[in-house]
Amino acid sequence: MIEVKNVTKQYGDFYAVRNINFEVKEGQIVGFLGRNGAGKSTTMNMITGFIEPTSGQIIVGGYDVDKKPKKVKAQIGYMPEGTPLYSDLTVKEFVEYMADLKMIPRKERKEAVQKAIQSTGLEKVQNNLTKILSRGYKQRVSMAGAIVGDPKILILDEPTVGLDPKQVIEIRELIKSFGKNHTVILSSHILSEISQICERVIIMDKGEIVAVDTPENLEKTSTKDQIINVIVEETEESKLPSIQDSISAIKEISFMEEKEDGSKEYKVVVENGKDIRKEISTTCAKSNMIILEMKKQETSLEDAFVKLVEGRPEYNQKEIKKIQYEKEVQELREEHEMKKQEKAEKKAEKERKKQEKKDKTKGGDA
Amino acid sequence: MFAVMKKELKSYLFSSTGYVFIGIFLLLFSVFFYISIFSYQSMNFEYLFYNGATILTFVAPVLTMGMFASERKSGTEQLILTSPRSITSVVLGKLLAAGIILVITEILTLMYFVILKCFGDPSLKVALSTLFGFFLLSVAYLAFGMFASSITESQIVAYFLTAGAFLLMWFLPDINSNLQLFSLISMFEKFPEGLITISEVVTFVSFAVLFILLTIVVLQRRKSVK
Repeated sequence: MIEVKNVTKQYGDFYAVRNINFEVKEGQIVGFLGRNGAGKSTTMNMITGFIEPTSGQIIVGGYDVDKKPKKVKAQIGYMPEGTPLYSDLTVKEFVEYMADLKMIPRKERKEAVQKAIQSTGLEKVQNNLTKILSRGYKQRVSMAGAIVGDPKILILDEPTVGLDPKQVIEIRELIKSFGKNHTVILSSHILSEISQICERVIIMDKGEIVAVDTPENLEKTSTKDQIINVIVEETEESKLPSIQDSISAIKEISFMEEKEDGSKEYKVVVENGKDIRKEISTTCAKSNMIILEMKKQETSLEDAFVKLVEGRPEYNQKEIKKIQYEKEVQELREEHEMKKQEKAEKKAEKERKKQEKKDKTKGGDA
Repeated sequence: MFAVMKKELKSYLFSSTGYVFIGIFLLLFSVFFYISIFSYQSMNFEYLFYNGATILTFVAPVLTMGMFASERKSGTEQLILTSPRSITSVVLGKLLAAGIILVITEILTLMYFVILKCFGDPSLKVALSTLFGFFLLSVAYLAFGMFASSITESQIVAYFLTAGAFLLMWFLPDINSNLQLFSLISMFEKFPEGLITISEVVTFVSFAVLFILLTIVVLQRRKSVK
């Protein structure tokens, strides 16, 4: 459906995107993951034809973006970052304008607009001006503009930024539902979001693709060694580190802490991700040691991301710290946005009530 | 083209921009009308448009300053430029909408002609020639204003760039008589005399087409430098 071949976007000496290659198959939900400035939005903008690549080729639905931009654009529904909307239009007018811009035939337009409004849950606010809507509704309006006319491909740039947790869940569900009939590309710097929604993940960093795989595979490959945490009651004769002689797959056993009841916690590092919990259990039983708890440490997409970024030669500890710092800043920003949004919602609610009152008095006068 | 035109027209008429343009233009036009009748005892409808051209210098940028600058600033240009509509149709759609507001304003100025007709005998032919010339001048101004709006994301910069360029055109003939060729105002002055010459019409149209093309080039080029 989408082929990106050797694409580079350069601004002077700076590479926003450097020689990237990937393919998105029909019906897939693919997520771009990366820090701010990793090249996610630039890549998306190049696919939509908003920005021209410096070199390389992008083919969408069999058409070259450079040679047949109209054909390509007709297949894409795009939701830009920051949900730009026309403040002087109502929700319905905005979606109608998007339908008009997408050259949806006049006969089908009314139905297409209603369908987009319904599937994004905007029926109640369709006659409200977009400027009085809350952030969550604005995201929905922007999404309605993208899906109107049922385009084959949906490109969503940071669709959940600035939303409160409830709205984030709603938007994610919405995206998942679109994924059933569309090819969806979305970008995010929130790892959990990508792993929940996407079938494939493209990790970008400094304008380059670092990895392309399923979230599960990325989580698995983030660490070759499996870590098992074991809490055990030892005897005078037998200590847990002694099982290393019986089980060859164990690479290392390190003591963590002693619990209040006298049991001890160990970290067992196993080679090549093998699951040897059964062997540990039987070996301990033979040596009269009682296992109180044994837990395989789950690796996350976050581990994969940090590992991939950490593993890159040009990265140093300073930059890793920067990632963590940015994450913290992002969380603070989101918290701030949520507060801001709560205020805006209250204001919008007031405006809505005022409008309703006005309508009622008008109705009364009539 | 009509999709963009419809939306722009709606924006002009549902926001203050369209009314500010029409309102300020007609208000100042009325002031000049009053002065012309009571101070100069003049019954010439056409001469009012010399003053109209002055007013246009300051109010035409109001219509054009937001055309692309505001879209760029708010990010909505992404919605337009990622749609299957061509840049040319977007540019023409916006210009057409501003042109319609302008035609509405011109039609409204006909009330002054009607008033004069009640008390005198102004020439309809000369009036129409003046209105035609004023329309050409306005379209040329709008095309330049649109171009100014496409090169910046600040509406204020776009306004001053447009008004500044128009003012400069006023003074070009004073700087050097040869520069009169580049002064649209000097060219417009023939229309209130009832003269419609091909050279003036071609100059106005060429000026407008040049800046329409430049706007298209600017928007097209931004794809590669953005």
